[in-house]
Amino acid sequence: MAVSQGFKTDLLGSIPSLRAFAVSLTQNADRADDLVQETLVKAWDKHESFQMGTNLKAWLFTILRNEFYSQMRKRGREVQDSDGVMTARLAVHPPQLGQLDLKDFRVALERLPEDQREAIILIGASGFSYEEAAEICGCAVGTIKSRVSRARAKLQEILKISGEDEYGPDAISAQVMASSPTT
Amino acid sequence: MKDTTQHMAMGGNPRRRSPRDPLGANSEIGRKLKQYYDDLVSDEVPDRFAQLLMQLEQAEPSAKKG
Repeated sequence: MAVSQGFKTDLLGSIPSLRAFAVSLTQNADRADDLVQETLVKAWDKHESFQMGTNLKAWLFTILRNEFYSQMRKRGREVQDSDGVMTARLAVHPPQLGQLDLKDFRVALERLPEDQREAIILIGASGFSYEEAAEICGCAVGTIKSRVSRARAKLQEILKISGEDEYGPDAISAQVMASSPTT
Repeated sequence: MKDTTQHMAMGGNPRRRSPRDPLGANSEIGRKLKQYYDDLVSDEVPDRFAQLLMQLEQAEPSAKKG
């Protein structure tokens, strides 16, 4: 069966999201684009395994993510070992509430372990549900929830904005969160 | 594993961002996350991708049929 025009159009339309997710994972624009290219080729080759009417974006994200981790394994996870370097290099000044610099945020995001980074991106930015994110990452919904929660806590810690919840309507949820299992 | 009772504060329906959502509009982290991501999404897509799809299409053995 030939690849339909609709499929091709949808693939094209999903490239911006794929690139954003790829950059979030790799933290490197060139590697991200190679990853997207690889994803498109794979998606094209196995387009017949995509079920029309299901979530194409989720399907593509799954392919991209699998490709990323298989590349990581081949590279021997060289990138991850740089955590110490990142920490040393990082000098985030405590931002005023609401004035958090995007560059600081990017640096903080880089310091998260991959599993937490991808979880918070999928949920907090890509617009996936917890169920979809769990499917993309091949893990339980509860695992995604706890990764998102840890990612958020870590970002707050790095960016020193742990007190933000005290100021907004979020305060109640912060109390609920604080009184839940972790403590 | 059913985990609907766990992490209730994370919000029941992830599609509907409630004020209690820890990554919702009231959260600085949530806002920055979206800003960071939207920035990436709105990045101009290089031509290589449209070209790639064109090449894939031309390489299709069954492209001429149907």
